[in-house]
Amino acid sequence: MNKVLLNIIAVVLALLFIFPLVWMLLVSLKPDGVSVYSLADWVNWSDLNVDNYVKVVRDSPILRWTWNSLVIGVLTTVISILVSSLAAFSFSKLPFRTRGIFYLVIVSGLLIPTEAILIPLYETSLHLKLIDNMWAIILPGLTNPIGILLLKQFMDGVPKDYIEAAQIDGSRNFRLWWSICLPLTRSAMVSVGIFFFILSWNNFLWPYLSITSEENMILSAGLPTFLSNNTMSLNLIMTASAIAAIPTIIVFILLQRHIVQGVSMSGVKG
Amino acid sequence: METKLREGKGSAALRRSEPLRLRTELKAILYLIPFLVPFAVFYLWPVLRGAWMSLHVWGIQGMEKYVAFANYKKLLTNSDFYTYLWHSFYFVLLCAPTVIILGLALALIINQNIWLRTLIRSAFFLPYVLSVSVISFIWLRLFDAKNGPVNAFLHLFGLPADIHWLTDHRFVWWAITIATDWWTVGFVMVLFLAGLQEIPADHYEAAKIDGANAWERFWHITLPGLSRVMKIQIFYQIIACLKLFGQVQIMTGGGPGDSTNTMIRYIYVTGFKKDMFGLASAQSMVFCVIMLLIAVIQFKITDRSNG
Repeated sequence: MNKVLLNIIAVVLALLFIFPLVWMLLVSLKPDGVSVYSLADWVNWSDLNVDNYVKVVRDSPILRWTWNSLVIGVLTTVISILVSSLAAFSFSKLPFRTRGIFYLVIVSGLLIPTEAILIPLYETSLHLKLIDNMWAIILPGLTNPIGILLLKQFMDGVPKDYIEAAQIDGSRNFRLWWSICLPLTRSAMVSVGIFFFILSWNNFLWPYLSITSEENMILSAGLPTFLSNNTMSLNLIMTASAIAAIPTIIVFILLQRHIVQGVSMSGVKG
Repeated sequence: METKLREGKGSAALRRSEPLRLRTELKAILYLIPFLVPFAVFYLWPVLRGAWMSLHVWGIQGMEKYVAFANYKKLLTNSDFYTYLWHSFYFVLLCAPTVIILGLALALIINQNIWLRTLIRSAFFLPYVLSVSVISFIWLRLFDAKNGPVNAFLHLFGLPADIHWLTDHRFVWWAITIATDWWTVGFVMVLFLAGLQEIPADHYEAAKIDGANAWERFWHITLPGLSRVMKIQIFYQIIACLKLFGQVQIMTGGGPGDSTNTMIRYIYVTGFKKDMFGLASAQSMVFCVIMLLIAVIQFKITDRSNG
């Protein structure tokens, strides 16, 4: 009896959780001006069509923004992982005296969020002529030290014997990293990479400030411009949201296991 | 032969760690450089630069004049500052406990042997991967007073009049809290699930034999077992709530009036709407100090429990 009740609660909660997304999809498929309010609206599927999608894709740079988000996300993730892995290798496998000081400096990066340094970050980017350029989003995205902390833990697990054996064979440090540590920490890199990608894809405040022209925007920062555009009806705004959400949802369904693992790994340690 | 070689290597490694050898140091630091360069330019430098800027009148064109602590004085004597600071902390009080309790409840449900477990877990986690602009758009419309499903749903339960969720100062913070909880609770749940997996099953078996009921088992085994994750989560959520910006910017624009204006939005408006970079930097520095204080408290608390 108790068991059945628990199951019912779980299913009802799950339905409540996906309700906003289902509603968004339904509204986006209704003709312009038609709302989904009463129960009758919910079950009336006769007027569903994709006109709104055609309109949004045609009249706004939303596909361009999706592409920008993708390029920036992939570049940030790949560069972040390589750079973090190199640093993690140095901390984990190279005995040097000043490592403690460097480690402390890098970990201090966890203390102050981007939100607290917006103004000087903007000023610095202005000086470097990065404003309205995708590197204005990518470069500050590389300063997150969490990748180093996580990858270092996994590199600590690479057996000393492997490293010593390779050293006897005359391998240089770079080869130790490239052909031993990198392949052995591959699964950790996937998890950290997914975490970085989600962070970049959903990054809002800094792209919102640092990108000024419509064509260079990324999806998350571009969407709010629909609000200031008065010609956009309820249905079209939901369509734009759906276009932004659908790729994310598909990727989530495909990579679910890795995403949950990556997020929980980064979150538990952070 | 081989052992001899190894011994030689080993003692060399031992000796290496003693004197400060410039070559070894530089070789190791070389691997840090690709991280350190952007880190220095886009993190360390802005922190210092922000401190410097806060001592000046500074417009969008650049430095105008040195004013020492005048920006701080102006800031700390302005009642707006305290109002927005309070708003940020008020949101912490609303959002952090609700999201943690809800996340724990969901984790406990998922941790049971229920039907469609993976599917239900996915439903709870899914909103977390959406961006803040998408979730804000959705809830902006869900909370619409006249055509929104939230009011439609409440009318089914006999709500007499429409609730103006986003324009009534009594409800607006709850609206933002509900949207934020829905968005991030999956993340909290996943972390608690990981924590639950670390609690050994035989603890529960032993408690059952001793005749402990479900509530006692939760209170004496589950909660203490989750204390590490719980501490991390509490501080994580406090910081995440203090950083609130996207939801208010999109859903309310800081309104009605300025009742949902937060610290970050205050910095944003002062810096980018009013072009007062110096004053905004001073506000940022205050925010930095708050962040550092929280980090110190977190360090003290986690350190004590480890030692």
